Amino acid sequence: MKFKLLTLLIVFFLFEVHASSSNVEQNQIFKNIRCLVCQGQSIADSNSDFAQTIKLVIKDKIKEGKTEKEIYNFLIEKYGQWIVYKPPMNGSNFLFWLFPYLIFIAGGVVIIMFFKKKENN
Amino acid sequence: MLSNLGNLLLFLNTFLGITIIYYSFENLKSSKSSLSSKIYKYSLIQSTSIIICFFTLVGAFIISDFSLVSVYQNSHSLKPIFYKISGTWGNHEGSLLLWVIILTIFSFLFLIFNKSHPKKFRLYTLIFQNFLILGFLFFILFNSNPFENLTPIPLEGLGLNPILQDPALAIHPPLLYIGFVGSSIYFSAAMASLVTNYSESSFASSIKNWVLISWSFQTLGILVGSIWAYYELGWGGFWFWDPVENASLLPWFSMTALVHSLIVLEKRNILYFWVIILCLLTFILSVMGTFLVRSGILNSVHTFASDPSRGVYILIFLSFMIFGSLFILFRKYENKKYFINPNSKETFVLVNNWFMMFYLVTVMLGIFYPIFLDALTNNKISVGPPFYNTVIFPLVIIFLFFMTIGPQAKWIKNRFENIKILIFILLAAILINFTIFYIFKRYSILSNLLVISSLFLIISSLIDFTQSLKKSKTDLARIISHLSFGLLVLFIGLNHHFAIEKDFNIKLGETKNFKNYQIKFQELELKDYSNYKAVIGKLKINDLKKNQEKILTPEIRIYNNPQTLTYEAAIKSNLIEDYYLTMSNIDRSEYYNIKFQKKPFMMWIWISVTMISFGGFLRLFKNAKNY
Repeated sequence: MKFKLLTLLIVFFLFEVHASSSNVEQNQIFKNIRCLVCQGQSIADSNSDFAQTIKLVIKDKIKEGKTEKEIYNFLIEKYGQWIVYKPPMNGSNFLFWLFPYLIFIAGGVVIIMFFKKKENN
Repeated sequence: MLSNLGNLLLFLNTFLGITIIYYSFENLKSSKSSLSSKIYKYSLIQSTSIIICFFTLVGAFIISDFSLVSVYQNSHSLKPIFYKISGTWGNHEGSLLLWVIILTIFSFLFLIFNKSHPKKFRLYTLIFQNFLILGFLFFILFNSNPFENLTPIPLEGLGLNPILQDPALAIHPPLLYIGFVGSSIYFSAAMASLVTNYSESSFASSIKNWVLISWSFQTLGILVGSIWAYYELGWGGFWFWDPVENASLLPWFSMTALVHSLIVLEKRNILYFWVIILCLLTFILSVMGTFLVRSGILNSVHTFASDPSRGVYILIFLSFMIFGSLFILFRKYENKKYFINPNSKETFVLVNNWFMMFYLVTVMLGIFYPIFLDALTNNKISVGPPFYNTVIFPLVIIFLFFMTIGPQAKWIKNRFENIKILIFILLAAILINFTIFYIFKRYSILSNLLVISSLFLIISSLIDFTQSLKKSKTDLARIISHLSFGLLVLFIGLNHHFAIEKDFNIKLGETKNFKNYQIKFQELELKDYSNYKAVIGKLKINDLKKNQEKILTPEIRIYNNPQTLTYEAAIKSNLIEDYYLTMSNIDRSEYYNIKFQKKPFMMWIWISVTMISFGGFLRLFKNAKNY
């Protein structure tokens, strides 16, 4: 009985993943783009002319059927990596994305080392 | 006149700091077991005089004495009296004075509240703390003196940045400072403990209440700042992963780790050096945060208070602190052999610390990596919310599971007797989760998992709570803080997932429809206030499904002194949801840009954080009662 329930839940999850990945969220993109003329704001939060312009550009790109990634790449090419809040996972940034997890694993190892000492005693 | 008095008091304090250090060293030589009465006396005078010094500055702000540069730059005679007062610490110089006050008062309080601890330990704590006090006094005197004179005396001041003229922002700095400047006292105590070999559980008991004080206030301080940003900046969220917000979060992580590992040190007498490292780290991170904010290195909404020369001074001070503390730490460090049972409360506390360090490193990396990359390769990148959300939230899910199970574990050796109950709770959590998402018909795997894990913690804490009512020995403080943390994550998850956001351009008299909402731009009004003019829009929002009407009135304000344009969000909040609306004009047109947001459970996010901090205060009062 329990297993049936569990399988049902897993299927439900998988369905959800599928459902969530299908549409391009305009606001999501706005939030990931820095307003270059503001102090630490995204274009979603800014009222500046710059933000308004970029918003229009993005809306057009969505209409053209561009994916989220293509839009980011387009803006990076034009304005540099400074414009996106999510650094692309490539080259030197790769280590940056990985580093927290390395620390996490290292921390886990340290804790396990505390256990090992017990066996020695 | 006030300027002279202030300078005099600053010099007096410098003198007193040196005197206290001198007498403390003298006193160390004497064989008497009690502290010399001179030290108490001078410490009392020191606290009193720094408070008078601060009130002198407050006085100068109240009477708008523009012969002081800091008053001239940050005040205006027409400003409401409340903001004249809060303007005292709404600027760099004044806020540094607040730093020194907290350093000094904590120094005095630590002295009088720890009489049961050895004289040597107390004296060294006092010595280290006074070195910190002197460091900041020199900074004030030579670089950032709030009492600096200005001639000829200007007739009018420049005024305080209007977005800082706000009640939340008036109390935000003092709360936050009690938090992270308060951590100085256990930095000093940790150094003293290393120097005097005063280790083990008695050291833990000497600092635990100070850790709780700073942790609880830090939590509140972050909360108030967050509330301010929510309604004042017009972004409509509670956390933006802004570099400066992050800087206040770093000490919070290490304080939280400390709150937990101190329990282990006190009960089991292990992890001494780890606790010391956390004590040192917390204050170092606090000073580092100040450095980042004041030097202008970070591009953030807080860069109002930046100047490179300040950065250099704090950086030098910071390096002294880091190298000094590391030097002493390495000299005294011994590799002690602990053994910990994998299934024990000790392990779970370590797991807490493990996650806290992970969060800390992640956030720190997010702050520093772009700075280093820019310095090394001239490559500018931004690290914002998507990075933190992607890296941190998945692990919060696992963290919440540990947080649920951990407190149930016993010291030394544990056996889980109630696994069945836990599985039952988990199933209940999953069921509730799917009911929520089924009703609202929107899906995301991360939100689901966050909601399940937080419900797991919440239900289990609630069961703990009802059981604890029957028992005589309860740990209500822990239950409340953990429960509230669960609630916080739950409401963040729901808030994030079910928020509605829509922005559009509209002109007066027009009506727009989207989803089941209808928004009508009804009126536009121009009003004159004493220190600003306002363009006030009146918009009617109609929820067609529920047939509810709400009127929101966002404003565009034009402040006179200094000339600034601000956008005031209109917020209608209740326990279920917030309606949030901002309006801005579009140049050379009659259209206005309107951003409408519906944010569910905002109020509960604030309530949860308040309760987390309340748990800390509760533990504190309990400790004080047993004291």
